[in-house]
Amino acid sequence: MTYYLTTLLVYAGVDVIACVALNLQFGVSGLVNFGFIIFQAVGAYTAAVLSMPPDTANGGFQQYILGLKLPFPIPWLAATAAGGLLAIPIGLVVLRRLRSDYQAIAMLVISVIANTLVTNIRPFLNGAAGLSLVPAPLSEHLDSGSLAYQWLYVALTVLCCWLVLVVANRIVNSPYGRTLRAMRERERAAAALGKNLVALKLTMFVVGGSAAALSGAILVGFIGLWAPASWLYPETIVIFAAIIVGGRGNNLGAILGALLVPVGFEEATRFLPQIGPPGLIPAMQWVAIGLLIIGFLWFRPRGILPEPRRRVEGEA
Amino acid sequence: MSHVGATGRGERSASNPPRSELGPLLVAQGVERHFEGVRAVDGVSIEIAQGRITGLIGPNGAGKSTLLAVLAGTLPASAGRIWFDGEEVTRLPVHRRARRGLVRTFQLSSEFAELTVLENLLVAAPNHRGDSLLGALLGRRYWGEDERRLVEQARELLDRFGMRGQESEYAGNLSGGQKRLLEVMRALMLRPRLLLLDEPMAGLHPTVVRQISAYLERLRDEGLTILMVEHELGTVERLCDPVIVMAQGRVIGQGPMPLLRRRREIIDAYLVG
Amino acid sequence: MHIYLSAFGFGLVSMAVIAIGAVGFTMQFGIANLINLAYGDVMAASAFVAYGINHAGASIWLGLLASVAFGAGISLVLNRALYAPFQRRGTSHLGMVIVALAAALIISNVLLAIVGPDDVSYRMSSGPVIHLGDVVLTSVQVAIIVIAVGVMLGVHLLLTSTRLGKAMRATAADPTLARSCGIPTARVIDAVWLITGALCGLAGTVAAMNSESFAASSGSGYLITILAAAVLGGAGQPYGAMLGAVLIGEATELSAAALSPEYKEVVAFVILVIVMILRPQGLLAKLGVLEAAG
Repeated sequence: MTYYLTTLLVYAGVDVIACVALNLQFGVSGLVNFGFIIFQAVGAYTAAVLSMPPDTANGGFQQYILGLKLPFPIPWLAATAAGGLLAIPIGLVVLRRLRSDYQAIAMLVISVIANTLVTNIRPFLNGAAGLSLVPAPLSEHLDSGSLAYQWLYVALTVLCCWLVLVVANRIVNSPYGRTLRAMRERERAAAALGKNLVALKLTMFVVGGSAAALSGAILVGFIGLWAPASWLYPETIVIFAAIIVGGRGNNLGAILGALLVPVGFEEATRFLPQIGPPGLIPAMQWVAIGLLIIGFLWFRPRGILPEPRRRVEGEA
Repeated sequence: MSHVGATGRGERSASNPPRSELGPLLVAQGVERHFEGVRAVDGVSIEIAQGRITGLIGPNGAGKSTLLAVLAGTLPASAGRIWFDGEEVTRLPVHRRARRGLVRTFQLSSEFAELTVLENLLVAAPNHRGDSLLGALLGRRYWGEDERRLVEQARELLDRFGMRGQESEYAGNLSGGQKRLLEVMRALMLRPRLLLLDEPMAGLHPTVVRQISAYLERLRDEGLTILMVEHELGTVERLCDPVIVMAQGRVIGQGPMPLLRRRREIIDAYLVG
Repeated sequence: MHIYLSAFGFGLVSMAVIAIGAVGFTMQFGIANLINLAYGDVMAASAFVAYGINHAGASIWLGLLASVAFGAGISLVLNRALYAPFQRRGTSHLGMVIVALAAALIISNVLLAIVGPDDVSYRMSSGPVIHLGDVVLTSVQVAIIVIAVGVMLGVHLLLTSTRLGKAMRATAADPTLARSCGIPTARVIDAVWLITGALCGLAGTVAAMNSESFAASSGSGYLITILAAAVLGGAGQPYGAMLGAVLIGEATELSAAALSPEYKEVVAFVILVIVMILRPQGLLAKLGVLEAAG
């Protein structure tokens, strides 16, 4: 039972970080990052190839680059940095003055391209089979199978969550956050008021990308594997759904969305009996997510916890 | 503040530091703007004198709004050069021009709808300690003082324009006239030297038009320079001196309104009475 | 050299298949101003309707007709029930994309739930083989090319010579103006969805005929290839879509011969992204995809 609980908590933490990150980019700043899942993948792959031994070990059944067997926390720090670095070229793509729906589609297609390339170029990251036997952090010193380790992992995840939330809160509740929201509302007016749009967008891409990558590192350290199937483009849609449901622009909304959508769905369906052929339940999950998105966009587009109205003391 | 001649009063405000020369604040030379084969602005050379409200009029499609956008930097010039306050700004992006005091407003309301009226003003303030990633991460202790100061400044502005009561309203819920006022106030938070107004009175009730005109005159008296695109000729006549007339992307006349009214080609171009 | 010539031949079939789909897709964008991301999944669903009829014993060509009707019907319902209400509300472009993505998710997964995840194929003979010099094609493939040419001609005639076609072009250019000129825009839009939906169904079955196998998940692959052709040619331009189909069809087959078959799809994706970023208006430009400046 408690293994279930610790697993649930770690997944919840990962999803919270991912949702808060995308909320900073999309909810607060209006950046259409439909390629979001690439950042989580970069973090997972980076943490994996930095903590795994060289690919010739383990009988050489996997092919991948690097394999530096670095100790914790270096893989996680490097993963976060990798997410931030990747954000720069990708952010520059989004900076072209495209209609927002075109931007969204271009980003989505980029994530599909990335996935296809990784799948097809086997020596890079072991292609379709992906990476397995990824060592858990600190597993050289601790028994990673024990219940105590599970709780340690939960604690680590909570720590990372807390860090990301502090950063997100400080950004959102500051004049900088106000500027980001203005940019989201009406870019041209923000520029005409002296705001450097390029710098703002790139910065939020880097911040969000780093957090997403961290979530990937946490996830891969816990489950020990990562393959192209873990980061197909619909995964980005799940996170968007979480933000639409929970509340765009609001950090608490992002947390709520994370708990309701990625976590809530997984858990709710876990307890359903196996009806119909295997694969029916996951398919129905996706249908439900589609319906959820449409339902919320129609009835409550601001989400359950919309952005709060900010009043200042001493009003007239 | 030296521009005594135009207004008869030499008032100086803290927001407009004295200038040593009496030269024009903005100079445009041979400015062109083409897009997809259309020459929206076709070789415009003008000078905007300090401390005056200059009008920019012309029939629909004359290129007035485009010219404004090019002067502000929202659109790049296809050819020509622009100087602001003695410095060439032709290649400078719009946000840098705004920081130097060349600020524009937009023809269609461009308020930040999901921010409150007060937030709309606060966001315009330049050089806020909390308006950077690092500043935000350092927290309220770091930028709280700047914020308090700015809130006061913004509230003063709101009081002046009679909108203090709407401080916590979402800007998107304001009436048309209030949005225009907000647009002007927002621009003023930047302490502009030259304000480019794109049809500030369009579609407004005559009472509101008079109200805004009075504000603009006061601002001019305090030393602000304004370039205003406007259709309502009565307003132009009351407020603007000089007036620039454009048609088909070119300037076809400049000068005080009464003189312009007499010129045949301008009447032909579009003046009706 | 030989391998490139036969790749060229396959390219002809590819371009035929893509053209049928791309023209329908781009007309939806041009006239209804909507990027219908569920298009590929409607194609896949239509292909399965044909499959059902085919495996019940009928000829695949009968299945083809059924899939055309199905595509038309589903597309009309999709617009009436989902897209049009959101558009009437003034939903932003981005909002419509999210709605379309949700629709695609729903359609592809309902399809998956009904037909299961396995790869299937039609029961049909590919017919006698035809030799055109070094190019070798089956008669089914030739039939597909003929159908595509017919569709192109049909669309051209529709748009240039019929009242409906002219009404469509007017609605595409300026819906408000069209309405005030007395054009029943709502009925025109219905007609657009029926016709383009029919093309969608046709394209789906034809694509499935041209491949060794297909599955419920084939939709997204179809969509991206068609999106690439439509965007390359100029979003909203039917003639652009035809041009785009020609280029993408040949490009994918030739690169499959040059590199390896796995990269066929990637080539379409990469072309799409590059075009979207560097020249989003495509080769035959239409306004509206760049943000209005100033």
